[in-house]
Amino acid sequence: MPQRLRVVTARPAIRRARQALASCLLLTLAGRVEAQSSMGTASAEPPDEAAYVYKQLPDVPVLGAGADTTRLSALWQDRPVLLVMVFSRCAGTCSPFLRSLKSAVSEAGGAGSAYRIVVLSFDQADTAADVEAMGANAGIRPNTGWVFGIAPPSDIRRLAEATGFWFRWDPTTAQYDHPSMVVAVDRGRVLRMLVGATVSGTELSEIVQEFGGKFVPAYALPGKLAFRCFEYDPTSGRYSLDWGLLLLFLPGGFAVAATMSVFHRASSRVHRDAHVRRETGSSGAGSAS
Amino acid sequence: MDVTIDTIGWTNVEARSWRRMTLVWGLTVLVLLPVLVALGAYMRMFQSNVLPSVAPEWFYAVLTLHSLGMVGAWFVGTMAGISYLLSKYTRPSLAVARFAYLGTIAGVVLLIACTLVGRFGAGWYFLFPLPLYAQGVWSPWATWTFFAALATLGVCWTIWTLDLLRAIAQRYSLGTALCLHYLAGRTAPEVPPMILISTVSLIANIAGLVAAVIVIALFGVQALGVDIDPLLMKNLTFFFGHLLVNVTMYLGVAMVYELLPLYAGRPWKTNRVVAMAWNALLFLIFFAYFHHLYMDFAQPTWVQTFGQISSYLLSIPAAVVSIFGTLALVYASKMRWRLASILLFLGIMGWGVGGIAAVIDSTVEFNVRFHNTLWVPAHFHTYYLMGVVLIVLGFIDHFSQDVSKAGEISSRTKWTVGLLVVGGYGFLAMFYWGGAHSVPRRYAVYPDEVAQGALYARLALAFIAVLFLGIVIYLWETGRRCLKGFAS
Amino acid sequence: MIQMRGLYIFIAVAAALVTVFAYVASSTRRAHDIDFHRAYAVRKALFFALLAVLATGLWFTLGNTPYPRDNEIPTNVVFVVGKQFSFGVSAAPILDDEQYQAATFAEPVDVPAGALVEFRVTSFDVNHGFSLYSPAGQLVAQTQAMPGYVNRLRVRLGDPGTYTVLCLEMCGMAHHRMRGILYVK
Repeated sequence: MPQRLRVVTARPAIRRARQALASCLLLTLAGRVEAQSSMGTASAEPPDEAAYVYKQLPDVPVLGAGADTTRLSALWQDRPVLLVMVFSRCAGTCSPFLRSLKSAVSEAGGAGSAYRIVVLSFDQADTAADVEAMGANAGIRPNTGWVFGIAPPSDIRRLAEATGFWFRWDPTTAQYDHPSMVVAVDRGRVLRMLVGATVSGTELSEIVQEFGGKFVPAYALPGKLAFRCFEYDPTSGRYSLDWGLLLLFLPGGFAVAATMSVFHRASSRVHRDAHVRRETGSSGAGSAS
Repeated sequence: MDVTIDTIGWTNVEARSWRRMTLVWGLTVLVLLPVLVALGAYMRMFQSNVLPSVAPEWFYAVLTLHSLGMVGAWFVGTMAGISYLLSKYTRPSLAVARFAYLGTIAGVVLLIACTLVGRFGAGWYFLFPLPLYAQGVWSPWATWTFFAALATLGVCWTIWTLDLLRAIAQRYSLGTALCLHYLAGRTAPEVPPMILISTVSLIANIAGLVAAVIVIALFGVQALGVDIDPLLMKNLTFFFGHLLVNVTMYLGVAMVYELLPLYAGRPWKTNRVVAMAWNALLFLIFFAYFHHLYMDFAQPTWVQTFGQISSYLLSIPAAVVSIFGTLALVYASKMRWRLASILLFLGIMGWGVGGIAAVIDSTVEFNVRFHNTLWVPAHFHTYYLMGVVLIVLGFIDHFSQDVSKAGEISSRTKWTVGLLVVGGYGFLAMFYWGGAHSVPRRYAVYPDEVAQGALYARLALAFIAVLFLGIVIYLWETGRRCLKGFAS
Repeated sequence: MIQMRGLYIFIAVAAALVTVFAYVASSTRRAHDIDFHRAYAVRKALFFALLAVLATGLWFTLGNTPYPRDNEIPTNVVFVVGKQFSFGVSAAPILDDEQYQAATFAEPVDVPAGALVEFRVTSFDVNHGFSLYSPAGQLVAQTQAMPGYVNRLRVRLGDPGTYTVLCLEMCGMAHHRMRGILYVK
């Protein structure tokens, strides 16, 4: 049950202890690990969201640090999920990535209430406690909707396949090569994917809007366009008016200004009022009435 | 003929010049009408597959010329009519009218050159960035000639519009011309509805023409290598396109307010409701174009909703004030049914019929099935052919009889009206039927999925023949009266 | 079929309008003075009647837009790129000209009948109109294919068969020949 699953409960004091423990573990494990499994095709190109969008994710068990086990489906059943995959020995992007995600989440708001963030390790060497320690390390406070855990290797593979995630053991660095990505999951389906070592608060807000059922009927392609009319602001879920719109108001403004000036110029002449008082009996310049 | 020297102070010579200017405009429109109808018939022939050996790019070039020609012809037709009718109350500049005429002719010549010689075929509203993607069909000179034509027309028409406003301003303050005192419950000074409607339409027209100039300028910017937002261009394009067509319609309605009472023998005066209606239109008219962009999902949804609401609201003043006003004016009156009055009356009816189809199309739920099918030309051809065209033809006939003192033969009037109505509505029915059966608009050749479009096009041709016969009789009768008018 | 409903509403209302015009025209044979106060009363009634009709129309139609608002998740996504003069339709994203070319020659995409499908539509050159014609030749949905933007159209295609994509925004000399194919199974 998601409610019963242990979300991070580490208090600052034990957090530090755990950090120390995690570092030790990392050092000891690093010596032991040689042939680690790899998964997927390494590629310089990050996974493309478009290729995975709306695809169903496999329902895998999630093992928490307190030996609690739940399933992903139980987690995404009542609220959407942001899924990330990391490994605790990562000397590169994982920790900064988590920190970046944490600040994006606090910018977007709604963690815990509107969605959960599930952090899974894809490294067989990791224990749930290792992953949890990573979270603590990144300054993630307890009871805030974060779930840390591990999953059986075969399930990790299925999950990776379904999201375009890959990892490859590089013996020279004794590290995994892998992309950093956030998969937004709604009722088990991939809704969006954010790929990159840092998570932008704006993009995450966009996802949170979509979690709330807010559909963005169109989005602009990257590239510079002069004079856009509208700019979509995902934080508020509203469109704001952009510079291009000024050009749309220009004709109306010009019409008003031109009319005013035409009438103003004429008003300074004398004969207008005289005409108004006189009734005209004719039917036009050329008419033969 | 006796020339009135009135409080406006036209001299005999000036009055004669105005008549001649108006006759020249009228005859120009009468020459353009059959030519442009023939271009339309050519397109329907193309779609009927009776011209198999002609390259489709000719269809699109002719489409461009037909549409812009028609939009332009009826715009200048109503502007010329309004200029003449305004001369009863104000002093528009004859020099500006002449300038506008020469500019219009220059624009038309450039248009013919770029379409029929240069094969420019991006349509009359040249949706960005199509003119820049010619695929070798038309060369850059054709594109820039097209823009030169538009710029020429735009500049001339803006000056013309400003001059008419200036003429109104000489006699009325802005508040009076917009009848704001009626809103406050005062009826003095009395302002004829035509002044009110012309003021409203002319102000809106300036906005439309300025938008067109901005569009052309942005095309230039794009050609220089700065990428312009296509959504902005679409908004601007339909802003100007919708306004130009809308203004033409309103100027036509202004003529009816002025002319129909002469036949009904009853006055048609401005009152509080009329003033409210047209002032509301001056506001709403700027937002109605949103319904052209329903299928652009990039436009925020609230804009689409607002577009449907404002399109719906626009129909209220039209129906409750102008159409109802026409009916109340004519009801049980001692109406003199002449060619002119019949055409004016039918013109208002056509406006109403087209309006119903337009309201349906401006409903997003229907628009997703009707947008850019033949339903669209169906409704705007109803406005135009059975609306503003009949009104302008009514005006020209009224004027021709006025200056030539030549009467009409009632049997020929009946034939003219009968043929125009049967041919016109029959031709439109094929558009409506095609639209309801998903046939796309602006297709040179119908693919298999919508092959029935060719049949509708063939049937439309039969109705166009009937319509054309009606036009021929009209031209023979009214055209001769116009020519006689030059002798006066 | 919604198109025919639109046509019938149009014919009915237009017929009513024409009848009124004919009645008013014929009334001039028995000319008499009319009481303008009565006419104003009729106008007032007409105003409220029209307002009521339009408000009802808005009430029933404003919610039925092609812009999806509900919380449904599509089961399929189909990528569409319009370019002079063909549509590239693909289950995989089309990011460049090469992929577009491949998509125009590839086997048509299959989507399950009745499933909610999201079309992500854009253009690589000018504006095109992406429209879906059912096997019976009926226009079922459309959105614009605009350069610089991706429009997301969500639609359920109920009837199995071959759907044709036609262009509904004039795009040049072969506008009428632009097409794409989609199988609904």
